[in-house]
Amino acid sequence: MDKQDHFYIGWQETMPAPHRRFLRPFLFGLVLLLPILVFTTVWFQKDFNDHRFELGTLTEVTGTYYESPVPLLLADEGELPNTLSKSILLVGFGKFGAEGIMKDIQETEGSLVGKKVRLSGTLIYGAGHTVMELTQKEASLVQVYEDAALKTPALATNGAYQGKGEILDPKCYFGVMKPGEGKTHKSCAIRCLSGGIPAVFKPDNTGDYYILLDAQGKKLNEQLLPYIGYLVDMNGSVSNYFDWKVMVVDSRALSLNVSRKGERCGGDG
Amino acid sequence: MAVSYKPVLWNRQKKKYDQILWMGIALILGCFAIFEFLLHPTITIETLIIRATAFTAIILLHIILMIGPLCRLDKRFLPLLYNRRHLGVSMFLIALVHAAFCIIQFHALGDTNPIASVFLSNPNYQEISQYPFQTLGFFALIILMLMAVSSHDFWLNNLSPKMWKQLHMSVYIAYALLILHIALGTLQYEKDLFYTILLWSGFLTISGLHLVAGWKTRSQLRAEQNALKQEGYFEVALLEEISEKRAKAVFVDGQNIAIFKYDGKVSAVSNICKHQMGPLGEGKIVDGCITCPWHGYQYYPGNGQSPPPFKEKLATYRVKIIKDKIWINPSPFPEGTAVEPAIINHG
Repeated sequence: MDKQDHFYIGWQETMPAPHRRFLRPFLFGLVLLLPILVFTTVWFQKDFNDHRFELGTLTEVTGTYYESPVPLLLADEGELPNTLSKSILLVGFGKFGAEGIMKDIQETEGSLVGKKVRLSGTLIYGAGHTVMELTQKEASLVQVYEDAALKTPALATNGAYQGKGEILDPKCYFGVMKPGEGKTHKSCAIRCLSGGIPAVFKPDNTGDYYILLDAQGKKLNEQLLPYIGYLVDMNGSVSNYFDWKVMVVDSRALSLNVSRKGERCGGDG
Repeated sequence: MAVSYKPVLWNRQKKKYDQILWMGIALILGCFAIFEFLLHPTITIETLIIRATAFTAIILLHIILMIGPLCRLDKRFLPLLYNRRHLGVSMFLIALVHAAFCIIQFHALGDTNPIASVFLSNPNYQEISQYPFQTLGFFALIILMLMAVSSHDFWLNNLSPKMWKQLHMSVYIAYALLILHIALGTLQYEKDLFYTILLWSGFLTISGLHLVAGWKTRSQLRAEQNALKQEGYFEVALLEEISEKRAKAVFVDGQNIAIFKYDGKVSAVSNICKHQMGPLGEGKIVDGCITCPWHGYQYYPGNGQSPPPFKEKLATYRVKIIKDKIWINPSPFPEGTAVEPAIINHG
């Protein structure tokens, strides 16, 4: 039995001295422990890449618009800093491809394919590639120049690829999200590809990136959805679309390409 | 019977509790932001908010779950229990920020309703490592939300203490869902062993404290049970075991009883407070009333009734004192029935 009978009641003005004396070092210990716990938790995190998304900053870029196989603006010389690729992959606002916006624009402006245009949007860049979000949707078209339309260069196969890697959505991966890959990003990548943002394949042992197409040169997004988040074996013929590499994959044999279901993408930050 | 809403009654200790709580939350969030910007300067604001709120919420949940067993092991932790509801509501609000940012970041502005997307975007429900972990967090958040909105005494009275307690015990389901949410989500990306150790450390701490506190309570109850059993009455305690104005809790013939010694008398009432089923036997006689250690609810020891205008009533029991020993009859009287206290004969 306690010699002194101390009893705690919450609604009283003060707590008994033994309770206060007991809890004070306990709370002080927590104040010391929590920052240490936070520090170690942050310390062991994977580092993020240096990709950028210029959220809140609209940039106007003049260049030639191409639509096939995926919407792209080939920026004129001097329009972008030299550190950025001039081949700007166009994507829509949110988790959508640019096709819908460009279709609406061309319904009033006529075909812009091969024409010089000035587009406004939010730049996303990293790993040697540039992407632009058409943030203002149809209002992203600033100007159409009267120059004659250029022809879209044909995709000429210049090699083959075989290897393993992860299927990504380029909008998130090249800057919008940190991290834009791996299990925690899987649902978002599925939403982005489902919305029409072109699928990009990132081999796990090279710094290359490939826009994935089917044999008809169309986007493969829907067929790829089940394989996002897995380490995928991929093979196909490779060609160049300006600064981007494009890989044509046989969609009928796609399921056979996933041979390592036991391995999962954790991403490498 | 209609139950009216009464605003939260603030007092000095409640205010101090909340001040310390939110200073602690600010400390965690602030440290998280500073360390992220120092160690990972290219992090986005959205990712920082998602990670900092997740970390803060899970730390608070661990503290919440530790308070109960800590109070069983040492009563000096009781001040932490007094305003635990505010701790729970704060934790829910922080978890809500985490969930909102995750849903906006990963599921909004797409071709599917954001909430539907949480369940539909990743259909790999059949594979453990690919499991859509967001769904587990979603259901945990629903449980925490139900607990937060029902935390006021208005709901305690409306639902009845028993149902309210059952609802709030579902915090353990939420905790299990959140452990899986982390294990199948973040731990599938952040693969450093540190995070696995951290998660298991938290789980083992919570489990261990509950096991030790449960073992202590159980062993106490068993020892008392073995000492009882007599015809009609059971010998339950020595007078000297009970301090003045304090009690001893006993478990007799299925009845959980608190025996109070006060003013030269001994009375016995149910050990379970009508408010939140708090252990009255750990309480004290204050101003002539049995006072619950959890929230200060009060009852007269002679009849188990709360002082007017309150209407809570406890079951009462017959008590006898033979020499220095207290004997009790575990057949309860109807709640609020006056029973003559046993008189201590000092001669």
